[in-house]
Amino acid sequence: MDAIVELSGITKRFPGVLANDRISLAVAPGEIHALVGENGAGKSTLMKILYGLYQPDDGTVAVRGERVVLDSPRRAIALGIGMVHQHFMLVPRFSVAENVILGAEPARGGRLLAGEARARIAALADQYGLAVDPAAPVDGLSVGEQQRVEILKVLYRGAEVLILDEPTAVLTPQEVDDLFANLRRLRAEGKTVVFISHILEEVLAIADRITVLRGGRVVGTLVAREATKAQIAEMMVGRPVLMDLAIPPARPGEVALEVAGAVVAGRRGRPAVRGVSFTVRGGEIYGIAGVEGNGQSELVEALVGLRPLAAGRLAIRGRDVTRAGVRAIRLLGVAHIPEDRHRRGLVLPMDVWENLILGHHGRKEFGRGPVLDRVAVWRYAADRVQRFDVRTPSLATPVLALSGGNQQKVVVARELGFAPTVLIAAQPTRGLDIGATEFVWTQLAEARAAGLAVVLVSAMLDEVLTLADRVGVIHAGRIVAEFPRGGASPREIGLAMTGARLGERSA
Amino acid sequence: MSARWRLALLQAAAPVLSIAFGGLVASGIIVAIGKNPLDVYGLMLRFSLTRTDSLAAILLKATPLIFAGLAVALAFRAGVWNIGVEGQYYVGAFAAAFVGFSVRGVPAVVHLPLAVAVGGAAGALWAFVPIALKLRRGAHEVITTIMMNYIAAAVVLYLLADVFRDPTQIGTPRVRTPLFADSARLPPLGPALAWLGFDVPAHSALNWFLPVGVVLCAVAAYLLVRTRFGYEVRAVAFNPDAAEAAGISLDRVRFTMFLASGAIAGLVGLSDILGFFGYFDIDFPKGLGFLGISVALLARNHPLGVVPAALLFGLLDRGAQGVQVFAGVPREVITILQAVIILAIVVGYELVTRYVRVQRKLEAERALAPGEPAPLPGSG
Repeated sequence: MDAIVELSGITKRFPGVLANDRISLAVAPGEIHALVGENGAGKSTLMKILYGLYQPDDGTVAVRGERVVLDSPRRAIALGIGMVHQHFMLVPRFSVAENVILGAEPARGGRLLAGEARARIAALADQYGLAVDPAAPVDGLSVGEQQRVEILKVLYRGAEVLILDEPTAVLTPQEVDDLFANLRRLRAEGKTVVFISHILEEVLAIADRITVLRGGRVVGTLVAREATKAQIAEMMVGRPVLMDLAIPPARPGEVALEVAGAVVAGRRGRPAVRGVSFTVRGGEIYGIAGVEGNGQSELVEALVGLRPLAAGRLAIRGRDVTRAGVRAIRLLGVAHIPEDRHRRGLVLPMDVWENLILGHHGRKEFGRGPVLDRVAVWRYAADRVQRFDVRTPSLATPVLALSGGNQQKVVVARELGFAPTVLIAAQPTRGLDIGATEFVWTQLAEARAAGLAVVLVSAMLDEVLTLADRVGVIHAGRIVAEFPRGGASPREIGLAMTGARLGERSA
Repeated sequence: MSARWRLALLQAAAPVLSIAFGGLVASGIIVAIGKNPLDVYGLMLRFSLTRTDSLAAILLKATPLIFAGLAVALAFRAGVWNIGVEGQYYVGAFAAAFVGFSVRGVPAVVHLPLAVAVGGAAGALWAFVPIALKLRRGAHEVITTIMMNYIAAAVVLYLLADVFRDPTQIGTPRVRTPLFADSARLPPLGPALAWLGFDVPAHSALNWFLPVGVVLCAVAAYLLVRTRFGYEVRAVAFNPDAAEAAGISLDRVRFTMFLASGAIAGLVGLSDILGFFGYFDIDFPKGLGFLGISVALLARNHPLGVVPAALLFGLLDRGAQGVQVFAGVPREVITILQAVIILAIVVGYELVTRYVRVQRKLEAERALAPGEPAPLPGSG
C-alpha cells in the first residue's frame, strides 16, 4: 500500500508532557481514516504537526512517498493537506464565495475576479455534492451548511487530504448523516479524509480504518468493518469500559420539580424559552434533547434562579419559587451541574477544598458565626475527594491545575453534597473523555436510584437516550415532542430536534 | 512536598525579584546621567536606614500609604475598581478637619474618635455614589470615581476658601481652616517608641495612626482569609459567574467592599492633618490615592502586603531626598525608579504566576501515576 501521508516515529514534547511518543501512521489514498483517543491522547498534536502548526521533535513526515518538512500551514496546503477546524473561521457578513476565497483571492492586476471565483466554487460544490449557494451570506446558514463552507475552503485550495477535527460535535443527527454522505462522496472522488472523533458509533459508521491513540502512543490500527465499539473503547481507555449502563425501571416518587409555561428572555431580550412545561418526579431522569442554542441554557438558568422567568411558574417540592433567587432555590435542595464548568461551576484559581464548599459555605456544619471552621471544611473536602475519586495532589491545589475530568468530579462531588432532592445537569459530560463520561453517567444513575429528580440537558443524543426515563425535545424554545424511554428511535428524536412536526406522540 | 515549598517560596520572592529587576533597569538611567548605580543605591540605603530621623520619616510617609493601599486593595479584592480613593480621602480629611475645628470643649476620647469616624463616613459616602450608580444603573466605577475625584477637589476647595476659611487669615495669602482643638490632635508615637528603646527625633510627626493602619491591615487579612464573607469576596473576585451560580449575592459583596474601601480611604489624610498640621489648608498633600493604587499593586492586593509595600515607597521617597542632597541625583530619577519597579512587578508577577500554574498542572498530572490502572468509578 502506498500511503499518501506517512508519519514515522513522530515525537513531540511539551514541557513535562510527552504529547506524541514515536507515533507512526500511514494514511492510504482514498480512505477515510479515523483517529480516536481520549482527551490528551495526542490526536490534536499529531494533526497539528501534519498541518504544519507544530514541528515534531523527532520523526519524519512523507507525502506521496517524499519526505517533507512541514514548517507552516501554507506549506501543508501547498502539498495538498487541508484542515477543517472544529470552530469555524468564517466572516458572518461575507457570502459563501467571499469566505471561500478569503486569503486566496483570484485577482488580475489587483482586481478581484469575483465571477470567476463563484463559478469555480459552484463547480466544486457540484462535483462533491456540497449543497450550498455561493452567493448566500454566511450568517444565514445553518451549522451544517457552514461546515460545508469550511470544507469548500479546503477543497478550493486544492486539498487532497482533508483533516476534520471533531466535525460532528456541533451537528444534529441529520446533519451528521449529511456530513457522512459528503465524506463518502469525497472518498468516491478520490480524496483522502482523516477524521478525528471520540464518538465511537460515528467512527464505526464512516471510517475505513481506525487508529487508536492513548497516552501519546498508537495502541493499534483496526479495519473498521471488523471492529466493535467495546474493543475500541477498551483500547482507548486501557481497560474494559462499561458502555451501556444497566438502568433499572424507574420508581417515580413525588413531583419534585414543576415548570409551567416558562418564558425566559435570552440575549437582547428576545425570548429564548417560549412556554416550556414539564414535571419531574423523584427517582426519574427527565432528559432534554436538542441542538445547542434552542433555549436550553436559558431554561437551565431559569430553573436554578440565575435568570428571571418572564412568564410562567416554577415550583420545587410544591413550593412556588417563580420569583426566588439562586440562594433560596439551592436551600430547597436543588443542585446544579452547569453547562460551562469553567464559567459557572468552578473558581479556577481557588483550591480544591474551597471549590468543594462553594454554595455550601454558609452551612452551620462549617462553623459557627462568621468564621469558617477550617478543620470541619477540610475534613468534609477530604471525604468528598476520596468518595468521588478526584485525582488531585492535595486539597490545596488550585482547581485550574486539574484535568477536565477531575474538575467535573469536583463539581459533581460538591453538587451532590448535603443530600439534594433535585439535580439540574446541563451538558454534564461535555469535553470529557470516556472514563470521565462513564463516571458522570454512573453518578446520574445513582442520583436517580437515590430518589433525586434529575433534569438532564444534553446535546448528545446517546447520553439522553441512555439515561433519561422521559425525553423532551427542545426546539426554538419549545418542547416540541416528549417520549418515554424507548418510545422513539434516535432518528425520530433527531428529526424532532430539527423542528420537524411529528404526529402527536407525546407520552 | 518540597516542590510545593519551592513554589510558595518563589511566589513570596516574586516582589523581591521584581524590585531587583526594577533596580537593574533604573541602574541604566543612573549610568546615563553619569553616576555609579552602586554608589547611588548604597548611599540611598545608608541614608534611609542608618539614621533615626530617616527611619521616622519613612514610617511617617508610609502611614497614609498603608491606608490608601488597603483602601484600593479591598475594592480590587472584590473585583471592583476604586480609582476614587483620591477623592474619598480628600473629602474624608476635610470632614475630619471640620470636626476638628468646629467641635469644642469635648475630651479627646470623644473628639478624636468622632473626627476619625466622620472622616471614614465621609469617605464611605463619597464611595457610595459610584457603587450605587454601578449596581443600580451599570455606570462603570472607573469613570464615575474619577469624576467624583474632580468633584471632591472642587467641593473641598470651595468649602475651604469660601465657607470655612479661618477669618483671622483673611488678607494673608494663607488659605486654611481654623486650628483644631487640642482634643482632636493625634498623640505622637515617639514616647511609645522611646519606651521600646527606639528614639524618634522630637520633631517627628509620627503618630498613632501608623499602628492603627497596621492593625487594620491585619484585621482585613483575617476577615478575608478566615470568614465566610471573606471566602465570598475571593470567589466573587476570581469568578463572579460561578459565585453567582453558588447563590452568592454579587451586589452585596461588591457594595460592602466598596464602602469599606471608601471608609478606609477617608482615613488616608488623617495622619497628616490630625497628627501633624492641625488644620486643613490649600496645600494639603494630593496624589496619595493614586499612590495607593501602586501600593496595592505591589502588595498584590493582599492586606498584609500593603504594609511592606507602603514602607518601600516610604524608603524610596526618603532615599530620594538623600541622593538628591548628597549625590546630586535628580529626584526625577527616583520617581522613574518607582515607576520602573511597578512595571517590573506587573511583568514579574505574570511570569511567576504562569510558571507556578504550569508547575501545578504538572504536579496534578504526576498525581495520576502512570501505569497504575484507573480504579473503577464508585469503587473509591
